[in-house]
Formats: sequence, structure tokens, C-alpha cells
Amino acid sequence: MEELSFVGKSVPRKDGVEKATGKALYTVDMVLPGMLWGKILRSPYPHAKILNIDTSRAERLSGVKAVITGKDTLGIKHGFVETPRYPPDQYPLAMDRVRYIGEEVAAVAAIDEYVAEEALGLIKVDYEELPAVFDPEEAMRPDAPEIHPSHPKLKEPYKNVGGKTETGWGDMKKGFAESYLVREDRFEGQLRTHCYMEPQATLASFDLTGKLNVWTSSQGPFIKRAKLATTLGLPFSNVRVLKAYVGGAYGGKVDLFSHEFCASLLSIKARRPVKMVCTRQEVFEASRHGQPILVELKTGVRKDGTLIAQQVKVINNSGAYRGSGVVVIFLCWGFVMLCYRIPNLKYEGYSVYTNNPVRAPQRGHGAPNLRFAVESQMDTIAEELGIDPVEIRLKNARQKGDILPNEDSVRNCGLVECIERVARATQFKERYGKRKAQEGQRIRRGIGMGISSYMSGSLIYPNTSAAIVKLNDDGTVSLLTGALDIGQGAETILCQIVAEELGISMEDIRVVAADTETTPVDIGSWISGGTYVSGNAVKIAASDVRRQLFEVAAQELEANPEDLISKNREIFVKGSPGRSISFTQAVAASIAKRRGNPIIGQGHYRTMKEVPMHPSLATTKGRWSDNYAFDAQVAEVEVDMETGQVKLLKATTAHDCGFPINPLLVEGQIDGQVSMAQGHALWEEVLMNKGKTLTTSFLDYKIPCTKDMVESHYIDVITERYEKDIPYRTKEVGEGYVSGMVAAIANAVYDATGVRAKTLPILPEKILMGLKEKGNSPR
Amino acid sequence: MKKQLIELRVNGETCELAVEPQRTLLEVLREDLGLTGAKEACGTGECGACTVLIDGKPILSCLRLAIEAQGWEITTIEGLANGEKLHPLQKAFIQYGAIQCGYCTSGMILNAKSILDENPKPSKEEILKGLEGNLCRCTGYNKIVEAIIEASKGVD
Repeated sequence: MEELSFVGKSVPRKDGVEKATGKALYTVDMVLPGMLWGKILRSPYPHAKILNIDTSRAERLSGVKAVITGKDTLGIKHGFVETPRYPPDQYPLAMDRVRYIGEEVAAVAAIDEYVAEEALGLIKVDYEELPAVFDPEEAMRPDAPEIHPSHPKLKEPYKNVGGKTETGWGDMKKGFAESYLVREDRFEGQLRTHCYMEPQATLASFDLTGKLNVWTSSQGPFIKRAKLATTLGLPFSNVRVLKAYVGGAYGGKVDLFSHEFCASLLSIKARRPVKMVCTRQEVFEASRHGQPILVELKTGVRKDGTLIAQQVKVINNSGAYRGSGVVVIFLCWGFVMLCYRIPNLKYEGYSVYTNNPVRAPQRGHGAPNLRFAVESQMDTIAEELGIDPVEIRLKNARQKGDILPNEDSVRNCGLVECIERVARATQFKERYGKRKAQEGQRIRRGIGMGISSYMSGSLIYPNTSAAIVKLNDDGTVSLLTGALDIGQGAETILCQIVAEELGISMEDIRVVAADTETTPVDIGSWISGGTYVSGNAVKIAASDVRRQLFEVAAQELEANPEDLISKNREIFVKGSPGRSISFTQAVAASIAKRRGNPIIGQGHYRTMKEVPMHPSLATTKGRWSDNYAFDAQVAEVEVDMETGQVKLLKATTAHDCGFPINPLLVEGQIDGQVSMAQGHALWEEVLMNKGKTLTTSFLDYKIPCTKDMVESHYIDVITERYEKDIPYRTKEVGEGYVSGMVAAIANAVYDATGVRAKTLPILPEKILMGLKEKGNSPR
Repeated sequence: MKKQLIELRVNGETCELAVEPQRTLLEVLREDLGLTGAKEACGTGECGACTVLIDGKPILSCLRLAIEAQGWEITTIEGLANGEKLHPLQKAFIQYGAIQCGYCTSGMILNAKSILDENPKPSKEEILKGLEGNLCRCTGYNKIVEAIIEASKGVD
């Protein structure tokens, strides 16, 4: 096999110097001449009719340049999902009704933030309050207040159902009838939030040619362009979304947000650039959080631990609009069927409207809460059957070659190896189940395992990534990609691929990225397919350049193109080091002898190219992904039996990520996910009371800080290869590892204390109450 | 409010500015001096993204008024490198993968610098304690601590 120079190596980030010196410009840093500041007026009620809005006093305030309400918009709705079954359901600025506290009602652009803020206070809105509902199960009752009329196809005995997914395979009756043990449990995941450090921010500038230029803190410019153009009634080509560095996203910056729409419309109205930066309080109170789900789980097993039937019901509290709620109930099916081979499965998922803020994807998009439920029950079943947690997982683990219910083929799967290796590395079997031996001790140790799986890209707008690689006169290269680096290192990985294909250094590559005008289309950094889909597009573009270069060089050197190799911007004939030409000479030769061809390579890539469109959200039929990543994770915890405090001591992640293009960046993804899982499992929760957010700062909503740092270990299970000239199949590493770790922590807490958490987060009081219920004195 | 004329010493240079007294040091650094390396993530002193050094000690510039910063020697991330030559901490942060989105990086590096200035060979625990007030949501802190330990090896 050929030796790799850049790919597979821990190359430092391409944008490292800019970020380490404070030079990287984020949207919050952007300034344009004549720029105005925008502010948003939000609904104080969870559910109300808007009777009248009087903006006249605000408009008269000196320094105010534009005021907008729903009446100034075209009244075009948008949605995270826009299909015939799930048509758009949210106005970018409220029209006649508000459905959650914080919903955007009016917006102002003024010469500075103070004037804009003052103007908001001068807008008078007359509301008529309506009854509201906040709990999804209450919202489903027939007598609940109606938030949106049900879609005709979703007419159920239930109300406020914004979406439903129903699917299954096999024969449930038979499955349960043959079961030796059937367990039914209910688990509740909590509402948690992203806490990206850069708040939501947008700078919009409508120019005199009728073009809207937008910088926004996002996860990909092409989806933003599509939604902004649609809601503003502009042709796509009149909206240009440009790159800015992004201060974290984790799912929370996909989709269209009202502040992006309002900044744009205010700029159109005022004919001046308008900047909007949400305060941290606004982010907590009105921006989108993750998806809290309830999971009802009924599982049947044989005496030997073989899973034979699983029935899953998921209820998602989607907030006042669909957001990504209908996607999460679809994906949860995947998170059920991917990990274990279960012959009989039934799944139903409901996404329910409530008068809460809207929800977005959050790293794992349903998987962390779902895997917490399944893996917790798995350990309970193992214990009841007297089987070791490792053995029961090995017995049921998904394997290479399996065909999934959605007809995806698991062409490659290292799950068994992940389980075996993580168990070995942590001495799991020797250390699990030592509760008795620790009796009487105040500080007890526990160990737990969780597994999960995640797709590596799927079909969703714009469905494809393309790339251009240009050779410059001096032999350097420019890469044009629509991919947006949100911190995961997209640009670095894409440059490694170009460097590998062309035999040039990382410094020889300039990147132009994430600009809807000058760079080719890209799927965006939010479907866990960036490295796979965009990476392959770049690989094809770079190898196109190499092919052209070698054609020219072959002529010049009187050699066969197959006998050529390139290194350090030079092309050599293998075995004859004296015969070479530089890239610069090759470009010149190409321009001189190939009708002015300056050598530009292009490539495009689409996952599942034979599949016409995304799978059905209602029935789950249709293929999802070319390749799935798998992981098995082990958590080691310490519990103080007197206070109920849990400390996550060590996290070990064995993962089948295919082939790690950049191991250093992969480790960074794992560390970040372990840390998020720690907060998720043990303390993070957005608290709400009747639609009002109570946790509105980093003091109320605590995320892990340095004192909480977890020792993180990695085991790479490499199941794919990278070779020149053929597309590779790397797997995702950005989302899957939150889930296994949340489950592993919950199982480790049980191992230490005997308290089985059915709800998250596992706060100290839950452990103490659990101990009390079991009749155990703390010590 | 009526503007006041002030003089700030930033990264070794004296800057004369007219600022409204209610404006924070962070706002003035970012908006008037174009030093956008210091970031606002919360605006209420909870996250450390706005950390700058005053006479070598870290402060939260979102909680200080610009007018009280007169007479202080202020160092921002832009003043850390010596021309093209990066500070060992900047180099280590890049090399050891301590940067992801980069939004917390300026504050993190400056706070790390003050830790190393005080104690050139800090233990892991001392680093963790020193960085308690700097939040990062991307890295889980592991690579940050590793980078600081590596950088400390080069500082004597």
C-alpha cells in the first residue's frame, strides 16, 4: 500500500495561527461603514393573539432608522423540514399570534444598541392571552388548547401532534410470545442546550444592486441562503451568504432564525448594513435548545440474553413550531435499530407542539436521550438474567454485512471489536459489579458501558458537495469549497486531502470557503457527512488536477503519466530523480500547449448517489446513509453516598470511525463529546416554568469547566482505507460519542449505587432519594 | 452620556480616546481600537472569553469600565506574539489541538500566560484551578491543559 504523507496524520489546524492570535473574524467582530444595530421585541406571553402593534413612537425616536413587524413581511412561513406532509409552519416574524415566550414580534434598526433598545420600549403591542400548554402529554389530550390545527394526515385521537413516525419490522406478537423475559420501562431525557460560546449573530447588508450580503454565525451558508431568499421573496442569486469564523454551533445554528431574517429585512428597509448580536440571555430564553424526549421501551429477550423484540414509543416536546422535532422522531428509530440485531421491532414517534421555545438539533439529535434509555434497560435485563453487560452487548451487536430495516447495508462495522477492546482496556469484567464489596464505604466506584451508532451524512438540501482546485502560476493551489469550518477542522481536513493527492505541503494551499457566490455548493456542517461527502468532492477535484498536471508533465518529460509522482510542487519520473519539472513549469506548459488551459480541477460528491431523495419521515422507508460509525464507551465514576455527588473519573471511547483523516482532530471531537455527555448525564438542564426559561445564564445553566475535566482515552478501530483515486468511506466522528457516554455514565452510577436513573440529569438528590427508596442508609 | 477623554496603554502603545463613561473596557477595545481578539460570550463575567491582562494579571474586560483602565498596562491577545514570532503558548495551542472553534482561545491563552508567569512549572491541578473561570464547550479542556504543560516545558 502506498505510504500516506498528510492523510491519517495529526496535522495542526490550518486556521490555528489566526485563532491563536485573535485575528480570526467571527460574525460578532464584523463591522461595515454606516452600520446600524438591530434589536428584537419578543413576546412576553406563551400563547396570545396579537390585536394591534403600534410602532409610531419608536419610529419617531431620534436615531431609529427602520422598524418592522409581521406586516412588513411577505408572510411566507419556513420550517426546518418543508415537505407536503410537513409544510412550513413558522413565520420569521409573528403575524397575528404568538406561541411561545420570546417569539419575535417586531424589530428595530438604530444608530447604536442603546437607541435600538430604547425604541423597543416604545413599541406598543396589544395581546389577547390564550390558554397555553407546556407538557407534551398534556398537549396530546383532546381538551388541550390547540397550538396548530393538526395536519389532515395526522388526525389522531391526540391533539397538537406536529409529526408522527411509525414503522417496524418482524412480528411483535411472536417476538414477545417467545420471550423469556419482557421488560417495560419509561425514561425521560431533559431539555438541554448547546451553549456555543459565540452568541447568535448576523450582519446583513443590502446593496444598491439589489443584492443582500449576509454574514451569520451558522453551520453552512447554502441552507441559510435558500431560507433567507425564500422568506424575503428574493431570487437565490440575490442573496450572498459569506464566511465568518463560527464560535461553536453543535446543531444550534442550523435552520433560519428570526434575527437573520430581521437583520436582512431591516437592511433592505434602511438601505444600510444592520448587525444583530443576541445577548446570552436571549440565547437562553428565546433561541433553540435541544430535544427533550420521553421513551417508553418494551423489550423481550431469550434466557440467554438474545434480544428478540423491542417496542419503542418516543414523545418529543417540539415547542411552538415543528423545528427539527419531526426529524428527531424519525432519527430515534435509527438509533433504535442500528446498534443491535433485533428481529422484531415496532416504533412510533410523536412530535408534539407545546407553548415552549422551538427546538433544534443538538449533537446526536435525539441519540443521547434514546441511547440512555436503551442502554440503561439493557443493563437491567442483563442483571435480571445474570449475564455480564459486555456479553449481552456482544451477543446482540450489529455486524458487518447486516441489512438494516431501511435497506441500508452495514457494509462495514467494527462494533464487536469496539466492545471487546474497550472492555479489555478498562478491565471491565473484573471491575464491574463490585457494589457488595464496597458496602459501608462513603465513596464508591462504578463502571458502566454504553454503545451507539450514527450515520455519516444523509440526503438533505442541498444534497451534494462540490469543490474546485486551481493551480496557481507559482505552483501553489487554491481550494474553493462551500464547506464551513465550525471548529471541527473542516478546512484542515480538506487541505490534507489536497496535499495528499498533489504531493504539496499544507502551506501551499489557500482556502476560499463557505461563500455562496464564489464557492461551489456544500452540504454544510450539520449532517455529520462533511469529511465523507465534502472530502470526497475535494479528493476528486484534486485528483483531477493531478491527472491534468501529469498529462502535461508526461509530454514534457517524455514519460508515461503512470510513471510520474509529485512531491514539493515538482513532478518526477519514478526511478529517475533527475527527470522532473516543477508545477510552475507544468502550468506554463499547459497554458502554452493546451490552448491556454491553466489547470483547474473540479469534483462533486453525493452520498447514496443512486438514491433519488431522503427517506420518508413518516414511514422511515428509504435509505439513510452510505456508512455508519459505531462506538462502545466506558465510564468510570465515583459517587459520594452521603451527598449523592457523582464524579466522572475516566472515559474510554472505542470507536469505528472508518479511517481517521486527522487523529488529533478526531481526539478533539471525542473529548468535546465526552465533556458534553458529562454535563448532559449529571447536571445540565434548561429549567422552564409555564413557558418561561428560568436558567438564563452560565451561572444558572452550568456547563463543564476545567475542574470537571475528564481523563479521556481513545481506541481507534480502523475499518476503512484511504487510497488515491478512489472515493474513501470515512465515518462520522462529530456526534455519536455523546450518546454512548451518557448511557455509560448512567450505568456506572447504577453499578456504584444500585440506583437506576430513569430521568436525566442524574442529580445528587435523585441518587439520595433512590437510596432511600431502596431502604439503604447512605452508608 | 457625555464622552470623556481618556488615555489607555494597550500592547505597549498609548491610545487617546473619547468614550462614554458607561462603556466597558471590552467594548472600547473591540469597537474603538479594533482589537476583536477579546470576545464577549456572556457579558456578565461568567465565561472568561473577554479576559485581558492588566499589568500581567487577568481581568474580565466585560466587567470593567474603560475609564477606570487608565494608567494600566493592558495586554490583549493581539499583543502576545512578537511580530511573526508566536508566543510558546500560542504555538502549543496550535500544535496540540487545543483550539477548535477558537472563541474562548484568546481568554484561555492570556489566562494561561498569567499562570505561567506566576509559576513557570505548574502542576495539572494548578492549571485546572487557574482556568476555572474560562469556559470552553468544544474541547473538554484536555488538549488545552496538555498544550499549557507542553508550553511550560519551553519557558524557563
